[in-house]
Amino acid sequence: MIVGDLSRRALAERLSDGGLRLRTGPVVNRIQSRLPSVLDGIALHYADHIVEDDEGFADFHVRVAPPTNARRWIAPQVRFLFDGASPFLPLPANQAFAMLEWGLNWCVSSHCHQFLIVHAASVAKAGQALLLPGDPGSGKSTLCAGLVSRGWRLLSDELTLLELATGRVVPLPRPISLKNASIDAVRRFAPEARLSAPVHDTAKGSVAHMKPPTESVHHAADTAQVRWIAFPQYQSAAPARLHPLSRARTFIHLADHAFNYDVHGRKGFELLAQVVSDAHCFAFEYGVLREAIALFDRLASRA
Amino acid sequence: MSMSTSPALRWRSVPSEAIAWREWDGEFVVRNERSGSTHLLGALAGQVLKVLVAADRPLSGADVEQRFAAATGHSLGAAAEIDVVLGEFGRLGLAEPAPA
Repeated sequence: MIVGDLSRRALAERLSDGGLRLRTGPVVNRIQSRLPSVLDGIALHYADHIVEDDEGFADFHVRVAPPTNARRWIAPQVRFLFDGASPFLPLPANQAFAMLEWGLNWCVSSHCHQFLIVHAASVAKAGQALLLPGDPGSGKSTLCAGLVSRGWRLLSDELTLLELATGRVVPLPRPISLKNASIDAVRRFAPEARLSAPVHDTAKGSVAHMKPPTESVHHAADTAQVRWIAFPQYQSAAPARLHPLSRARTFIHLADHAFNYDVHGRKGFELLAQVVSDAHCFAFEYGVLREAIALFDRLASRA
Repeated sequence: MSMSTSPALRWRSVPSEAIAWREWDGEFVVRNERSGSTHLLGALAGQVLKVLVAADRPLSGADVEQRFAAATGHSLGAAAEIDVVLGEFGRLGLAEPAPA
């Protein structure tokens, strides 16, 4: 069963009662919330995702709920609970779905040490993955949204999971988080993409999420070999350009962008070395999304 | 009046099993198992480390240059530069000065 099979009422009941056991790639999240905005967000963005059995195992038990204090009547807030504890400060109530997304990211980056986790968007074509590691503002999510709107498979927008035994990317296709100017940029570039209404004044500015493509969710079990690594940097009006980056420098940058490189010790070193050895490595700057997508399409067509 | 010069400092690397490295196109990444740190090394530093790890005794900068030249027929560069690299290795915990 997938989320889209559930009526709104049935989805609301699961979220309110025992929790919705939502599979996202290799993990199962048990999500509880009575908030309509969380229900709406899940109904839109996770419509294609598998719902696991009510009694089945869940990796993460999370809840998005208002704090139980008087403030809820003055300036409503929400908090994210993990195993009943609240690891973050509350946020304004209109950021409930975004908070769920950020919380689920935190669950993975803090706990899924069966993978080497890189702060990178990743997409694939013909089973070959393009990694886009980058800091906030680098344009990686915009690029990711553009690429998946033009036939690339979404592996992950934010957390690229590298399988320890093979170095292959394990897909974690979840909503793509777009911020500020990139929201309209993606709307213009891909009018057919399904975006949530932007939420303003978050810690990251205005935020909207883009529904992951159905095909990407259906292929969430298909790992991909890292073929290209490109560190994007958005620069207004800059022509799309790939600059070869040495493997040694790529390694260091990739380690810097990994959440748990240190956790894995020598295994992490060996794994990154293998991934870098097998990949073409670049720094990438772009200012026009259309040009950027065309460039990566050409790159993939030569593979 | 007699003049004396202090003997050149000699260095030994951490044991080879405490270092993991990869070389690509003349650049190196090195993981120091003792510190858990990973470092990017340029060509000179990488070659110096290779010589030092393979050595059976502590080496000075001049010793490193001599051994590299003997093995490859090429020069690494001025011993003074190699000494700077060895000092940096000391700071990073990749090598330590041997007692005189």
